[in-house]
Amino acid sequence: MNEFIPLMVIIPIACALLLNLFHKKDKTVILMGIIVAIVLPIIPLIANYGLHYFGGHAPLITNSTLLSTLPSTIQNSALALFHPAVTYSYGALQKIFIFILGIIAFFAIFNSLSQNKKVSGPLMFLMFMGTAAVTAILLSDDIFHMYIFFEISALTQTGIILTSKTENNYETALKYMILGSIGGPLLLLGIGFVLGAVGSVNITDIVYAISHNLVDPLSPTLLFAFGLIFFGWLYTSGLPPFHTIKSGVYSKALPNASVLLQAFTVIIFIAIGIAIFRIFSYLPFFKTLIVVFSLIAMVLGVTMAIMQTDFRRMIAFLAVGELGYIGLGFGLATKLSITAGLFQAVNELVITALLFIGFGTILYLTKISDTRKLGGMIQHNSIVAIMVLIGGFAMAGVPPLNGFQSKLMIIQASLQSGFPEISIIAILVSIVTFMVFMKAYHSIYLKPKPNDLVGADKLVPRSSIAAIAILLIICIVLGLFPHLVTDNISQFAMGLI
Amino acid sequence: MTDILLILGDTQLMSLFTAAAFIVVGLFAAIFLDNIIKKIIGIAFIEEGANLFIVALGYKAGGVVPIFLPGMSADWFAANSAYPLPQALVLTSIVIGASTLAVMLAISMVLYKKYGTLSASEILGDKKTQTLAEKNAGDNNE
Amino acid sequence: MIEVVVMIIAILGCILAILQRDLLKVAILTGINGACVAFLFQFLLAPDVALTQAIVGTAIVPVFLAMAIYKTQRMDDK
Repeated sequence: MNEFIPLMVIIPIACALLLNLFHKKDKTVILMGIIVAIVLPIIPLIANYGLHYFGGHAPLITNSTLLSTLPSTIQNSALALFHPAVTYSYGALQKIFIFILGIIAFFAIFNSLSQNKKVSGPLMFLMFMGTAAVTAILLSDDIFHMYIFFEISALTQTGIILTSKTENNYETALKYMILGSIGGPLLLLGIGFVLGAVGSVNITDIVYAISHNLVDPLSPTLLFAFGLIFFGWLYTSGLPPFHTIKSGVYSKALPNASVLLQAFTVIIFIAIGIAIFRIFSYLPFFKTLIVVFSLIAMVLGVTMAIMQTDFRRMIAFLAVGELGYIGLGFGLATKLSITAGLFQAVNELVITALLFIGFGTILYLTKISDTRKLGGMIQHNSIVAIMVLIGGFAMAGVPPLNGFQSKLMIIQASLQSGFPEISIIAILVSIVTFMVFMKAYHSIYLKPKPNDLVGADKLVPRSSIAAIAILLIICIVLGLFPHLVTDNISQFAMGLI
Repeated sequence: MTDILLILGDTQLMSLFTAAAFIVVGLFAAIFLDNIIKKIIGIAFIEEGANLFIVALGYKAGGVVPIFLPGMSADWFAANSAYPLPQALVLTSIVIGASTLAVMLAISMVLYKKYGTLSASEILGDKKTQTLAEKNAGDNNE
Repeated sequence: MIEVVVMIIAILGCILAILQRDLLKVAILTGINGACVAFLFQFLLAPDVALTQAIVGTAIVPVFLAMAIYKTQRMDDK
């Protein structure tokens, strides 16, 4: 049913708005939150692939009776093909990512419902709103619609940092907003240039106009537009020069919320990345530019992760570094590499969520995030410790876990396209990732317990253990049967090239 | 002299120049000024410039407002009206700009209570990396 | 030619705004700037955008700024 497509955005927005009406009726709030959180991953499974035109304004070419009444200048031009309505396109790729986002949102919402005393309030609102915003970015085929939800997601991310009562969260929020408010209008300006050149904001129309030479593909207008949109993309995905602020954002939020924040980042990264790829991949320097930025992100991410002492910042920098692998997939621009990059995106969503929840239990027990003051936590709950260890192996790319499969595909793709240097850097970065993770893991779980470490008399919440276990099962299943995801993705990647 | 008059008479071109001036002044204020309120005002100018730029794209010299009144023929309207799509987009982005501004002002009010100053270098300047990121932001735009 | 005058006022307003030391004057200059942009939207055949900009740019944004300045400090330190 195509009617389900807009519901993926409408249901979380409606839930976000309605939840706070039931303030103080905690049972109603919990029931409603959990029902909606369960519904979120189910809708993409039952929806059919297809397009949804808002307001029913289909392209003129599909409505021949209306078309025949119009002047011949419109009938014979590309205008008859253009999409007048905001269009949502739902395909194999969107299905996978919205499903995974639904699962992660479910765990984030479920954990924060079961661990917080105040169940309603701004955090729930922002979580649902952000989920709706990134779903809309992923579905939308309209570049301005993407911009609107890009701004909404930036506001919700700021809001999520503000609701956590960590130290210096307001400073980080203000920095993120100032940079974001420079990046956002520049993205809008880039969209304006594309609109000025083509006359439409629908990505399919823009691609049609450029590929049929209705506009000059190498005109300065489009080059400038590419620069501005690319800059906005760098900001929103936390590639350099924004890696520091992005990792600061992850580490200032509560662990359950950072799970969602990194999911938002990865999904916006691939959604806008695909849009840029579809529109601008004909540019001669496009691939080089993306590969260079991805490599810088990978190297900077892991090197800055080594220097951190706060484990939340460590994972945050590692998460930024992992984004580089997805970028490599886009940059190499073969069918295999794009499949590998998007598969890596799925894996990163799951693995980083696992690590944030897993290390979040430490924060829950001890209220300390400095690795120098921690130690010996493996005695406290060894099951969680082992599951987090396997999650870290998945991130570093140890077989047979999912991170290994996707990184192997990226290395194969770079060898196939004749860049062995890239594959060497990728392997090195993944080794350093492993090292950083083991350093953090050792200092938290394995080294002798410091004498002044108190607390840890509480139990790890069961909801966290369940979330870690299920995410770990997804990791192992995807590692053993990668074709569950890659079949759908390679189908999409074929259409992209 | 006649050239200057021609340029001055071209409303669309002049609007684009104005938008560019807004964006340049706004970027200068957002990146180089120290006061947070002025940084925020600079950001508001960038947004205003982007909006003005997009509306100016849809302008048609000697055209009419894109409202289809009874009695107009469709052919004449299509040939003479301004392009309405950019205007519809800008309506949304004006509201987004105002709400972003409100959130930033609210955060800076909280930070003023904590630090007793509006100086960005005192509030945000504890790390070198931040200024570096902002500088890079400026370089990429030009 | 009146639109050129409005544009010059708008650009002057925004340059003066970032040079002012008194932040309340900055808020007022932002309002003038917003009003000029609203006029420009009207010249550019976008009356509905002009209406929105007139409300947001001349009333809401300066009032937000003035309230923030009232709660913080009026003079820029430097």
